[in-house]
Amino acid sequence: MSGLATGSLYALTAVAVVVVFRNTRTINLAQGDFAMIGAFLAIVFLKTFGLNYYLAALLTVLCIMVLGVVVERVVMRPIADSDWLTLFTATLGVLYILHGVAGWIWGRDTKAFPVTFDPTPVHFLGTVVSKGHLINMAWAAGIGVLLFVFFKFTKQGVAMRAVTDDRATATLMGIPVRFIVTLTWAMAGFLAAFVGILTAPIIYVSPQMMDQVLLKGYVAAVFGGLYSIPGAIVGALLIGVAENLAGGYIGSQYKTATAFFMIVVLLAVRPQGLFGIQKRREV
Amino acid sequence: MVEAVPGAIGRVPATDRKAVSGLKSRFEHQNWAAAIVFFVALSVMPSLPFFEGWMASQAALIIIYIMAAQGVSILTGYTGLVTVGHGGFLAIGAYTAALLAKYTGLSVIPGMLAGGAMAALIGMVLGLVFLRLAGAFMAIGTLGFAFFIGAVVNDVPIFEGRTGISLPPNTLFGFEIEDYGFYYVCVVALALITLFIYVLMRSGVGRAFKALRDSEKAAEASGVNRLLYRTLAFTISAFITGVAGALNGQIVNYVSAEVYGDIWYSVDILVAAIVGGSRFLFGPYLGGFFVVMVPFFFEELADFAFILKGVVLIAVLMFAPAGLAAVLARPVRALRDRLLVAAGSDSGRRAGERGGAP
Amino acid sequence: MSLLRCENVTVRFGGVVACDSIHLEVAEGKIVGLIGPNGAGKTTLFNVLSRFQDLDAGEVYYRDRPISRLKASQIVRLGIARTFQNINLFAEQSVMDNILIGGHRHLGNAFAHMFALPAARRSERRIEARAVEIAEMLHLEDELDTAVGNLAYGYQKRVEFARALAAQPEIMLLDEPVAGCNDAETAELEGIVRWINQSLGITVLLVEHDMSMVMGICDYVYVIDTGTNLAAGTPSEVQSNREVIVAYLGEADA
Repeated sequence: MSGLATGSLYALTAVAVVVVFRNTRTINLAQGDFAMIGAFLAIVFLKTFGLNYYLAALLTVLCIMVLGVVVERVVMRPIADSDWLTLFTATLGVLYILHGVAGWIWGRDTKAFPVTFDPTPVHFLGTVVSKGHLINMAWAAGIGVLLFVFFKFTKQGVAMRAVTDDRATATLMGIPVRFIVTLTWAMAGFLAAFVGILTAPIIYVSPQMMDQVLLKGYVAAVFGGLYSIPGAIVGALLIGVAENLAGGYIGSQYKTATAFFMIVVLLAVRPQGLFGIQKRREV
Repeated sequence: MVEAVPGAIGRVPATDRKAVSGLKSRFEHQNWAAAIVFFVALSVMPSLPFFEGWMASQAALIIIYIMAAQGVSILTGYTGLVTVGHGGFLAIGAYTAALLAKYTGLSVIPGMLAGGAMAALIGMVLGLVFLRLAGAFMAIGTLGFAFFIGAVVNDVPIFEGRTGISLPPNTLFGFEIEDYGFYYVCVVALALITLFIYVLMRSGVGRAFKALRDSEKAAEASGVNRLLYRTLAFTISAFITGVAGALNGQIVNYVSAEVYGDIWYSVDILVAAIVGGSRFLFGPYLGGFFVVMVPFFFEELADFAFILKGVVLIAVLMFAPAGLAAVLARPVRALRDRLLVAAGSDSGRRAGERGGAP
Repeated sequence: MSLLRCENVTVRFGGVVACDSIHLEVAEGKIVGLIGPNGAGKTTLFNVLSRFQDLDAGEVYYRDRPISRLKASQIVRLGIARTFQNINLFAEQSVMDNILIGGHRHLGNAFAHMFALPAARRSERRIEARAVEIAEMLHLEDELDTAVGNLAYGYQKRVEFARALAAQPEIMLLDEPVAGCNDAETAELEGIVRWINQSLGITVLLVEHDMSMVMGICDYVYVIDTGTNLAAGTPSEVQSNREVIVAYLGEADA
């Protein structure tokens, strides 16, 4: 069950990766560090400004959304027409910068998050789970619902789906593609902020805190063929559970290895991911 | 089987045959001369008055990163495949050489070769899974590989995690070598590898790599076996980076999870390859130099080094996506032409190539 | 004898049947055309024959040997070469390099080439010499080190042909060779195709929309419509075939 909880946090990262990729052909390597900066900012808001949890969270989310938009405008837009390797490497550059900035401002040591994880056991659906995990899952689920509503019912959400499916046609239909792209990155920031705030109590906050989460987010995204959000969510939950089981049965140091093996097996069997589209070979 | 031999129209006259091989590059001789001068300079450098021992080690480190970046560029620049996790091969090379040195007393050169061979082997196996994938998936897969190696190095007991493994002092043909000796080993290795890459890329195999990079379908329609050549590129690339890895461990006689436990050194060599220019023979030289010297100058502010690397990387991608080598190519060519004119040579006057990729 | 033959070839994409039990035969030494209205399945069939597309039923034979399980890169060794509809060249590489890759099948041992061993250098010289020969035959010898992307479309088409010829094929599969060409370029390419067939003895299968070209140079023509064989015969037979006319022009104009 706690595997599902960590899985749901991976899912938020995975969804962000998928959304950015399918709208802009960019694999955002900096996704994890968006979350990391979010965690640090949250600490600043909570400690230095002494704000309450919800206000701090809100501000953090807003700030990281802005960060996402800034990255899009300053880095990604000028090179928007390049091949995907260039786009990807650019996000690598952003990763370096964020990592350096975090280390510079806040130092390399791990810090504790002011709000602690609540380990009180709670009975839920037949098993016992920490309250903290439950809260995280609730948040993740809530965001999931929000996203669902967004894509299905709002004008911007529908527009975004159009851009994903067929950018050229979307442009012809008068959809402001540039705005949608900016919105995409804002969404990545939005999701990252939550990942940062929710993960911070569990693992200590440091510039390198998100490295592992990033990889798992990617593996989960690959489950969805880098295209399907539900696929990515399923993948993330699977990873969370598998990790936990592996940690329990084999040994906790094999948690990362699990993710890697899962992706190797998956890609060996289905090179386009579990839910990915099988592209017809065009000549 | 009947071979469709073209008819009597147009046989290449013997005198024109030279023109055929001359097509490779009008400046073949000059390029060779420049390269030789460069390596002679590298060899002579330590005897200069201001040169100190630690400089030799620093130079050796730069060479190591150049080699690692060369490995990456074979894959990304010449064959068009992505690899984010090539550092995994660096680690494999380092640990193979380290363990062999510790338990069997293997000296520097066999250590290098063993490191490279192990990396090549694992690369070949890994290639079976990853090389069939589309670009984005392969990138993530190789990234996972790097993480995996990092985890293995941290947790599997034989690699001694963060405590690390200390190697016995480096030996070469029975003699113990220190800074200068090791430096020369690196220079020779670099020269050999660069020569190998040069020959490779001018061969039919190199052609096949570039064909796969520029148009997979056209390559396949011409008979290039995509999986075979991709695997070959991957294996060669892993070998070279593995050799660099072995040297990386030997240069400090120490390997530990502190260096190889996370992914930063892995993306560093990707950065080196891209900033330098992955399609140019000497691109990795510039990239390796950059990636090693930035932290060197910012020793106090290591974090600022990160920021600077990121900024330069993005700047290169925006303004000079083919890498610094591309930026320098034009002024270097102009300089060369002027020098040739001054020397009164023919090819200098006929300067002005009309195209064709390196 | 039939060089290339396919029987009962069926290709399905999800619920759509692109090709349904198609039969086609190319006799050695002939120029055979494959025509049909848009969406008839010509491209799909062509890709099956050149092994860029897998079939769901049926078989393709080359000299009576089944090849439908081979990869696209493997049939080159048998003597089959193809061109691409909108040319598929390495734009940044030189004309020479583009032609050289066509000769890849003659490379020999890859390791020998990696280390520039004597055997490799011999085979490389042979490949180079042949490439120059072909370039001269197609009047490309002045542009050998120009980047292909900088050349006019007509030149690029010739480079595409040169690359296919460099494989020394027995049969060439041409995918809409004159697509996007003006009258002059079309006439020139027509001449080249005829020359390839008559002077070099290479069998040709071409898919085309340009009727005058097809009727002008083909010995035999297959017409397919909505994924099935519609008619087959000499150009004049096909031209006067009522069903063919209906398929192209519709019932009322027949």
